[in-house]
Amino acid sequence: MKAFDYIRPNSLEEAGRYFAQGKSVKILGGGATLFLQLQNGELAPDIVMDVKDIPGFRDVRYHHNHGLKLGAAVNLQHLVTGLEIRRHYPLLNQTAHQLASPQIRNRATIGGTLAWASPVSELAASMLCYDAVCHTWRPEGARAIPIGELYLGDFKTALGPDELITHVHLPSFPVRTFGVYQRQTVRHDGRRMIAGAAALAVRKHNALTNWRIAVLGVDDRPKRMPEAEALLAGAPAEEDIEQALAAVQDNIHPQDVVYARADYRRTVLDSLLRRSIQAIIDNLQDYNA
Amino acid sequence: MKHEIRFIINGESRSLTVLSQQTLLEVLREDLGLTSPKHGCSTGECGACSVLLNGEVVNSCMVLAAEVDGADILTVEGLATDDELHPLQKSFIDHHGVQCGYCASGMLISAKALLNRTSRPHEEEIREALVGNLCRCGAYADIIKSIQVASRARR
Ligand SMILES: Cc1cc2nc3c(=O)[nH]c(=O)nc-3n(C[C@H](O)[C@H](O)[C@H](O)COP(=O)(O)OP(=O)(O)OC[C@H]3O[C@@H](n4cnc5c(N)ncnc54)[C@H](O)[C@@H]3O)c2cc1C
Ligand code: FES
Ligand code: FES
Repeated sequence: MKAFDYIRPNSLEEAGRYFAQGKSVKILGGGATLFLQLQNGELAPDIVMDVKDIPGFRDVRYHHNHGLKLGAAVNLQHLVTGLEIRRHYPLLNQTAHQLASPQIRNRATIGGTLAWASPVSELAASMLCYDAVCHTWRPEGARAIPIGELYLGDFKTALGPDELITHVHLPSFPVRTFGVYQRQTVRHDGRRMIAGAAALAVRKHNALTNWRIAVLGVDDRPKRMPEAEALLAGAPAEEDIEQALAAVQDNIHPQDVVYARADYRRTVLDSLLRRSIQAIIDNLQDYNA
Repeated sequence: MKHEIRFIINGESRSLTVLSQQTLLEVLREDLGLTSPKHGCSTGECGACSVLLNGEVVNSCMVLAAEVDGADILTVEGLATDDELHPLQKSFIDHHGVQCGYCASGMLISAKALLNRTSRPHEEEIREALVGNLCRCGAYADIIKSIQVASRARR
């Protein structure tokens, strides 16, 4: 790696002062993406700024009315083991459980993973289903970015170069929220992603409301599928599911990659999503039984 | 930029001067002569460089040495006590968990992290714990068996 200065500010104001120096600064979370870019020379910043000591960045707070706040420096392993996540955000928990490896999850952070705007980001797909809001800070002030507006496609985000994700907020969900995530990768640790399908629905009486579908690996960014969600509302019958799946196919634009052709990614996504939706319906039936 | 860091490595306190861009893997191998963590890929994929950082398994190729000031680190050199090998090490020898051995340190560290939190893991848990460790010899079945036997012996 080329020489840089590693710094570790203790406050947002201190971080802001480094941005104001006119040097090139890269923010460091867990380094799972950043180190690759530093090693292969794609990035050569003057300063690598580790944000893990900034107050609040490691906070996890859950409140049954207000929802969940996850600080930017919380690691992904917390999404696997944290009790509040396992209880109230099943889709997030399942997604994290499959994501990468223990080594990566112990290091990778919420902030760094959200800022990594890859078309195959599994955390992003899950956060889209929960309508998460990304909270940021920069010298001019703080702002809140709904997760759907954070990703601009092809690895680009709405974040400015001197903008830090401070935390992410997820609204609260009823206890009977079902979530299922299905993925297909070449490698078990998540490298070479083919496609992924996240589905979420809330049980109300004997039906499923509030359907959310998010897909990844099949477009220039992970995205929600509102057309399909509308078709699933209520207690979807066989033909509703077929229509929803067809609506998804109409709204994706998969790319060929060396390990999977675009048409294959479409076919895989179709199967994964079918399974996710069916699993949620089965959950409801188990619950009613 | 230089950093004075102080940390505990295999139970011993050490102080060291490192550069910002040095990885923990580099410092362990080059400066401290601890060569159990291996350099495989530098991209977080192979797990040959795994160490325990404050009890959690991480890839030392993806940690800056400057970040570990104040931390507690364990490498395979710290597994054995005096003249006795750790039960995991013994079991790897007895049950052929080592072929060429390049992946073995990483496997041992991942196994240690697992046994720290689950004393009697079942096979599925062992497989999950090893997702981040590649074995190019394909010795997985024997590695899993070695860990299983060690966990039973330990109690
Ligand atoms: C071996 C391996 C396997 C993987 N498997 C999977 C997988 O199965 N599924 C999956 O979805 N992903 C996978 N990934 C990708 C992984 O999830 C991301 O690399 C990682 O989560 C990024 O988080 P980080 O904290 O390490 O970010 P970093 O690498 O530290 O940072 C990533 C980017 O975000 C910026 N950044 C960091 N923190 C902040 C902040 N607080 N505010 C603003 N910007 C910030 C950095 O400057 C950088 O540009 C894998 C990666 C590896 C190396
Ligand atoms: S060398 Fe660190 S993961 Fe391969
Ligand atoms: S024993 Fe050779 S790499 Fe695993």
